[in-house]
Amino acid sequence: MNHGQLDIVCVRKINDTESLLKLVQDSTQRLKVFLTVLVLGVSFFRFAKRDFAYRETTAFEEFMIDSFGPVQRAFSDSQSWLSDLVNHYVANVNASRLNEELVKKIAKLESEILATQETVKENQRLKELLKFGQNLTHQEVLAQIVAWDASSDFRVIRINKGAADGIKIQSPVVTANGVVGYIYRLTDHFADVLTILDPNNRVDGLVARIRAHGIIEGYTDRRALMKYVTRTEPVILDDMVLTSGLGNIYPKGLVIGHVAKIERQSYGITQHIEIRPAVDFSRLEEVIVLMSNADASKKLEWSALDAFDGGSDQ
Amino acid sequence: MNAQLRHIVIRMFVTLLILIVLETLASSLFPMFGMSRYRIPFNVLIVLYITFKLRTPWIPVMVFLVQWFHSIFTVEGWEMGTIAGIIVAIVVSYAKDLMHFSSVAITMVLTQVFQCLWVAVIIGLLALKGAENFYLLDKFWRFIPESLILSFLSPFLFSILDKIWASSEHGMLGDNG
Repeated sequence: MNHGQLDIVCVRKINDTESLLKLVQDSTQRLKVFLTVLVLGVSFFRFAKRDFAYRETTAFEEFMIDSFGPVQRAFSDSQSWLSDLVNHYVANVNASRLNEELVKKIAKLESEILATQETVKENQRLKELLKFGQNLTHQEVLAQIVAWDASSDFRVIRINKGAADGIKIQSPVVTANGVVGYIYRLTDHFADVLTILDPNNRVDGLVARIRAHGIIEGYTDRRALMKYVTRTEPVILDDMVLTSGLGNIYPKGLVIGHVAKIERQSYGITQHIEIRPAVDFSRLEEVIVLMSNADASKKLEWSALDAFDGGSDQ
Repeated sequence: MNAQLRHIVIRMFVTLLILIVLETLASSLFPMFGMSRYRIPFNVLIVLYITFKLRTPWIPVMVFLVQWFHSIFTVEGWEMGTIAGIIVAIVVSYAKDLMHFSSVAITMVLTQVFQCLWVAVIIGLLALKGAENFYLLDKFWRFIPESLILSFLSPFLFSILDKIWASSEHGMLGDNG
């Protein structure tokens, strides 16, 4: 090393020492470094601990959501009012003809209901005879959508019913057409629903025709993905996919959707199956929250599993 | 120090009120008009303003507050945004003397550049958490139009925030800390 290079190294060392001294002596700099390290550390810790099964809210968070929820609801109500005005008064041209068609349709459906009621009764009798499983009764709570998630990464909707209406964390949410998702975050008067289109939501499902199991995960804003179905399973387009009842969240037999795309490679052990949800999420306005009496036992099962996980980690 | 802190608290309160109004619009009004795939992340724009224009040691806490209020409207949580915001703040602190918001175009370009850094940090964090490639790719495709809209809005929103924070080229309250 010649003299020139040695001088440059010395000057650099002096500069480094000066900036370190400045950092130690300057209280503003000290505070800045301390706050940066503290906030960054806490954020990383919380990020590592983050779980997408469900989220407990703090009292302050609950207060904030309950305070701003009505504002979001006011926006959604004003939009519904406007669309009602347009649909019921301005665009009310074909109502009489539509009414006649609907009356005929109702008569046909009523006769079908009678036939179905008979089947339900028969089913109940047979189940009782076989002592088949746990006969769960579901209470239903009708809720209106007031907002969507503020981040486009998540397919989450906010509904105007909460713990005060008897809703619990991880209660399944459905419509007449099929599964919507489950309750992810809950306050007294509002709840966030993690829909089946969200990649963090995983539902154990089965193809109704061939009873092949798979895990359904959110994929795009219109499709879900059915994973882990073996390549030899003869799944075909438009096959209906139902909930299997496994996973402790959704009851068995709810419609998830229909098979929209299948890709089978000549290699690998599973096939790529895309599901078109039975629920049209772009037109979703009302949902039904199902609550069963088994929720308390579910929670006990979850905590037992969590305790087991904790034990195995250690 | 106490006087400066009092000014920050009052101005931060007004900024958070603006954030709440914008988040309410993004979460309830825009999706009803068919904007179901995209959302405008106004929280990112406010965090960028804080890191670009203010010179105070309280920036990490302010970033956390913005992200915490954002988490009321999303299940995303405050953690990832806070990490991304602080990393952006650290990078900006080195480049602050080179950045001059002298024109609308420069403001838009700088906002776009640092949004790219923001999304790179978020994608990195999601990849660490085990997110799948299709999800990360989808996020990237959504980021392009969302970030462009934010960049176009940035001069307008920055001018409003400039009035609230009484910010100048020398930083808030002339502090060079």
